[in-house]
Amino acid sequence: MTSQSRSAERIRAAAPGRPSLWRSAVMFLSVVGPGIITANADNDVGGITTYSLAGAQFGYDLLWLLVPVTLVLIITQEICARMGAVTGKGLADLIRENFGVKVTFWVLVVFVICDLGNIATEFAGIASVAPILQTYVPELSKFLLVPLAAVFVYAAIVRGNQKIVERIFFVFCSVYLTYVVSGLMAHPNWSVALPATIVPPHLSSSKAYLIMAIGVIGTTVAPWQQFYIQAAVVEKGVRIKDYPLTRLDVIIGAFFCDFIAYFIIIASAATIFVFNQQHPGHGIQINSAGDVAVALSPLAGKYAALLFSLGLLNAAIFTASVLPLSTAYYVCEAFGFEAGVENRFRDAKFFYLFYLALIVAGAGFVLIPNAPLLGVIFYSQVLNGILLAPILIFMLILVNNRRLMGEHVNGLVYNVLAWATVVIVGVLTLVSVVETAFPQLGS
Amino acid sequence: MTFHEGFLSDIVGKPAVVNDKAIGKVADFVVTQPHEVFPKVDSLVVKTKKGTFLAPAEALVDIDPRRVVLSAEPSQPAPPEDQALYVVEDLLDKQIVDVDGRKLVRINDIELAKTGNTLRVVAADIGVSGLLRRLGGSRLTKPVLDRIPRSLISWNDVAPIENLTPSDVRLSVSQKKLPRLHPSDLAEIISDLSTNDAASVIRHLDDETAADAFEHLEPERQQAIIEEVGAERAADIIEEMDADDAADVLADLPDEQRTQVLAAMEPETAVELRELSSYEEGTAGGMMTTDYMWIYPHRTVAATIDKIRELAPETEFIYYLFVLDQSEKLLGVLSLRQLLLAKPTDTIHSIMETDVVHVSPDASAQDVAGTIARYDLLACPVVDENGFMLGIVTVDDAIDAILPEKVKRTLPRFTRRHKKQTAGAA
Repeated sequence: MTSQSRSAERIRAAAPGRPSLWRSAVMFLSVVGPGIITANADNDVGGITTYSLAGAQFGYDLLWLLVPVTLVLIITQEICARMGAVTGKGLADLIRENFGVKVTFWVLVVFVICDLGNIATEFAGIASVAPILQTYVPELSKFLLVPLAAVFVYAAIVRGNQKIVERIFFVFCSVYLTYVVSGLMAHPNWSVALPATIVPPHLSSSKAYLIMAIGVIGTTVAPWQQFYIQAAVVEKGVRIKDYPLTRLDVIIGAFFCDFIAYFIIIASAATIFVFNQQHPGHGIQINSAGDVAVALSPLAGKYAALLFSLGLLNAAIFTASVLPLSTAYYVCEAFGFEAGVENRFRDAKFFYLFYLALIVAGAGFVLIPNAPLLGVIFYSQVLNGILLAPILIFMLILVNNRRLMGEHVNGLVYNVLAWATVVIVGVLTLVSVVETAFPQLGS
Repeated sequence: MTFHEGFLSDIVGKPAVVNDKAIGKVADFVVTQPHEVFPKVDSLVVKTKKGTFLAPAEALVDIDPRRVVLSAEPSQPAPPEDQALYVVEDLLDKQIVDVDGRKLVRINDIELAKTGNTLRVVAADIGVSGLLRRLGGSRLTKPVLDRIPRSLISWNDVAPIENLTPSDVRLSVSQKKLPRLHPSDLAEIISDLSTNDAASVIRHLDDETAADAFEHLEPERQQAIIEEVGAERAADIIEEMDADDAADVLADLPDEQRTQVLAAMEPETAVELRELSSYEEGTAGGMMTTDYMWIYPHRTVAATIDKIRELAPETEFIYYLFVLDQSEKLLGVLSLRQLLLAKPTDTIHSIMETDVVHVSPDASAQDVAGTIARYDLLACPVVDENGFMLGIVTVDDAIDAILPEKVKRTLPRFTRRHKKQTAGAA
């Protein structure tokens, strides 16, 4: 609380009179963060896997999808960022205060279960990189890599303050650029790829194409991000006066996120898709992002493969920090406990201990021999899909509440766009959930 | 009204009844003076088929486990949200922050209590039991809920609420002081409750908190509550107190109850406490009661008799009337007989006896009994060296104190039966 107002004062103090270019830059740097970090944490293990699969199966055909997806990402993130800046409260705060304890409690139960599965997924991603790294450093088995990552993730958050944590996250974000490099190293055919970005080359109504499209949308907007971006905006102390810069932060973050996604699709399209086209019948089977890294090695060179795996490791560790952080935020908000990385341990004990418990549970689960890992990953993705539409509906009800938002409620056009997003995302994820849960239907 | 205290979540949603006819559901409570220490509930918000209306608190007849009874159908429109504090809408689920603005917890439930004739917001429930109650567990898990200690923040530890749509609720004391302060405030609340309800509140508190609250209660309350919660629990609570406070509580208990409570205690503590309270028992201080009639000297006889009529049902010893000044210095005494024979317009100081026989608090039981016998008294005032009134020792207590144990046991229990009869007659 005190830290928030302090940083808000700092932001205000930085902007007396007419802003010069230099001053605007300083202002932007002091507000930027939540949007870029949240959007990039989207490109987690599940995201990278989905994008790789999209490229491997459909080549450049799905690149156009990233444009509307970026728009959806901007709309959903912007709503939460704006609510945080106007109300100074987190999303779970607002849900508890406006929908009561009963709704909040059950939302929490479901979301924590879902996020636990998601956290386990991230640690599984870390484990999947181990075999590739072992070709360089033989000692790095998953039994060393996963605990190391867990310790790092916990220590970085608990030992650091908000500024340090954010800087660490920025480093993670920049490591994503390895995907751009490995994409370029795959020598994509730009004369095909660039037009395909704007105009869908082969719109198809085949089941596989639809499922993949749904997968790409679903992996980009995750329920937990909504809680995280709002909590991060609140902790950063952004006020409505500085909000235009936060909106810019959100937009840049969304573009950067999908820029990376673009190169992941390109990397696997230029290599695996092309290889499979040339060798019909005995192509490369891709089931995970780790498979892509392995496949890249003979096709694009071992350094492209290494960069790809380092990118995957980076993404997994990054999301393994942001995701439990988000979970700890919203649980604390709902019960009214002090939360935030700016607090000392003894001032926000529950927050840090809960964060630790989530990491231990996620990392520990991956290390259990014969744990039903695939099941957990699968069902947590399904839950993600099911929960997305409800959380977007909560958000839209809240952001249109004049008592909370005053003049900053959604405009008409914005609401039409936002509700359309809810409907599209809701229907698509529902279709995808039904399809994946009951694959015999419609086949 | 049989209602004494209850939780918002148990009341909201209940049918509102006028003349045995359900007219709607209770939806909220309105407070117009939210900065009061214990904010008074001014009206109830009732949702009817015709719309939402306000019923003034004066129209509230009773709240029972099934319904809320009103004397008249609510008709006023509800005030706009920014012109009144709505207890459910504006307080329930709100964040509690400490004096430094640090977040502590959220308000899970709010306790309302009837104090005098007004319904007030008395405490915020921040505990697990409040959470479970809100989740709808009250019917299914009543026995479980009753076992979980309640965690309440008394409303007078909350900073005055000035904003009518508060974004959070701030405490006025630091978090560390909170658990120590709230029991005495709880005592305030408990003393307004029926014995049953008070006992149930005590039952829900942990021993330490209960002990703190218990100390602040009137001895009659303590006895009644001990009777309700049983000697075992009472012993646990009293053991948590400071020895001198515990001795005081024990000293105020009737012999039988004291024996039971002491028997339920850890032997070591019991011996210590028995010694402490027995030391005082042998003296005037240990024998005296503070339950006596007193009056200021400038009152008229008529006014005094009216006052006695008003207070007598609650006071055991009414045959002497002690005249005190504002600092409680003993100025004189009057017997009921003298009072009845005096003219109604006489003032007390013109007819009172100023030469009052009294004893000091450390006088022995023998001395007290001797004084009472020598002057043919029904009771003897206990006065300290500066002349301040401390209490009285009644003749039956004095006799009790000097009779040998052996003789006492063979006597019929006149005093007890006598007390019961007077209580029944009143």
